Amino acid sequence: MNRPRSQQIVYWSLVILTLLTLSAPTFVVLGASFTSGNIIQFPPDGFSLKWYAAIIGEQNLRDAFGRSLIVATICVLVSLPTGTLAGIALSKFRIRGANAIQIYLLLPFTIPLIGSGIGLMLAFGDAGILGNLWPIGIATAVINLPFMIWAVSSSAVGLDPDLELAAQSCGAGPVQTFFSVTLPAVAPGVITGSLLMFILSLNEFLVSLLLVDARIVTLPVQIYNSIRSIITPDLAAVSVVFIVVAMLAIAALDKLVGLEIFLKSK
Amino acid sequence: MQRSPSSYPLMWRVMDALEAAFAAIWPKGGGKYTPYLMLTPAIVLVGTLVVGLLYIGDSSLRTLDKSTFQFSEFWTLENYVRAFSEPFIFTVVWRSLMGAVIVTIVTLMLAFPYAYVMVRTPNAFLRKFLLIALFLPFFIGQVVRAYGWLIILGNQGIVNDVLGLVGVEPLRLLFNYPAVLFGLVQYMLPFAVLMLAPALTAIPEEIEAAAGSLGASWVETMTHVVLPMAKPGLIGAGLVVLTLSLTDFAMPAILGGGTQDFIANAIYDQFFRTSDQGFGATLALLLIALGSMLVGVVFAVFGAGTLALDGSQK
Repeated sequence: MNRPRSQQIVYWSLVILTLLTLSAPTFVVLGASFTSGNIIQFPPDGFSLKWYAAIIGEQNLRDAFGRSLIVATICVLVSLPTGTLAGIALSKFRIRGANAIQIYLLLPFTIPLIGSGIGLMLAFGDAGILGNLWPIGIATAVINLPFMIWAVSSSAVGLDPDLELAAQSCGAGPVQTFFSVTLPAVAPGVITGSLLMFILSLNEFLVSLLLVDARIVTLPVQIYNSIRSIITPDLAAVSVVFIVVAMLAIAALDKLVGLEIFLKSK
Repeated sequence: MQRSPSSYPLMWRVMDALEAAFAAIWPKGGGKYTPYLMLTPAIVLVGTLVVGLLYIGDSSLRTLDKSTFQFSEFWTLENYVRAFSEPFIFTVVWRSLMGAVIVTIVTLMLAFPYAYVMVRTPNAFLRKFLLIALFLPFFIGQVVRAYGWLIILGNQGIVNDVLGLVGVEPLRLLFNYPAVLFGLVQYMLPFAVLMLAPALTAIPEEIEAAAGSLGASWVETMTHVVLPMAKPGLIGAGLVVLTLSLTDFAMPAILGGGTQDFIANAIYDQFFRTSDQGFGATLALLLIALGSMLVGVVFAVFGAGTLALDGSQK
């Protein structure tokens, strides 16, 4: 379809403005991490990898990154089976009270993060489990669970119920039908959801901030605490860790299911 | 070891055992309970939030005794009275609400053309590029992005360097209201585009061509055809952006530098600075109520959009 020139000019200037806004922080952090100077600046003052060498030597940053990885792993271990079962159930069966259940399962999105975080902090505190990493993993699983359910249920719509019947008439029991027919059919959704959960949990800041104490800070909280005091270039180098993880996740998502899946209309 | 052709593969044995175990614990004719059982883990997991809300509700009804730092044994509505009479609360709520409205309008104005070009372009490479540019900040997290803006907008940042070249004195671009709103727009753009794109995909391109062939200019096609048809997507995206920016913590904290607090920052301060858990809990519940009211108002005025759960769209 041919577009008038004036439309192209208007759209493209807005798209380029948006692209710049979206990408500027990423590139600036990347650039600033390679500075050879001792203060943070962009364009960087010379090129060096010394801040990368510095962060490898910093025990507290390494530990914080390790803790973030543990939290994200627990989040996926909890949300993957939970969200997959719920997503399949919601899309495959006619359920009495399905609307009420959906509204309930959307609570993590409708309650503001500060509310969820404070509530979990009070509840976990009363249960005496604050100060561990696993409650943070569970918390990030809860607040992002609708993403997992949505990813699975949107791919389960394409699951043909006749296939499950065919498997059963060939002698497969319910367990084998589930693992050989149902699960492979929703696999793209499970992969997309798990990747989203891992990344969102790894980056989760506010709920982490509320649930950690000084001994178990996660990496986003560590960065936040540091930028409130002095901004040194080693923080830029640490932030690049997040950028690299994000790039890997996008590459994996594109390879496994294709990014275009997010453009599909329901 | 040579296996005889008739040997029973290990995988089959495992499956048989699983099926037997399943049949043993699963009552015959229990099929109608299957979906509910599959939903149980998710319902339990989300239940932790409900428990958390009960704790917030309980705390909000207890006041702090400033002399002993003990919370009252009895329930009282004093915190709620206080929330509606303290002037600083009004300031913070007004700042958050106005901020959320401005951020929503600006974000939708930028997200719509981005989503439109991404969906309509025949160039697969360009589409992929726009998608990657969208997902990268989405996957990087708020703190790192805010940190990037600190470098860009700081006193020795790029913007001030460029201004310095043309002889402008360094401007104070950080720790003010526009900086917070700008950071929020950047944070919300991926959410908005990802919610708009499917709605735009659903509009057949032929309809636009038809409008054009009947003499509509592209502006008329946009305002009379595309925008009305994309309304459910715009409402869905708008609501998400509105509620997420209203309740955001990180951008006001980092880019506002403590002078531009939103409601979430005020709640955090009540818990961790003033140690008045009761008043903080009251503010948290009022924020949840405010968010739900906004959603209700938007639904009443514009319809439920793509967030409608029964699939009916106005």
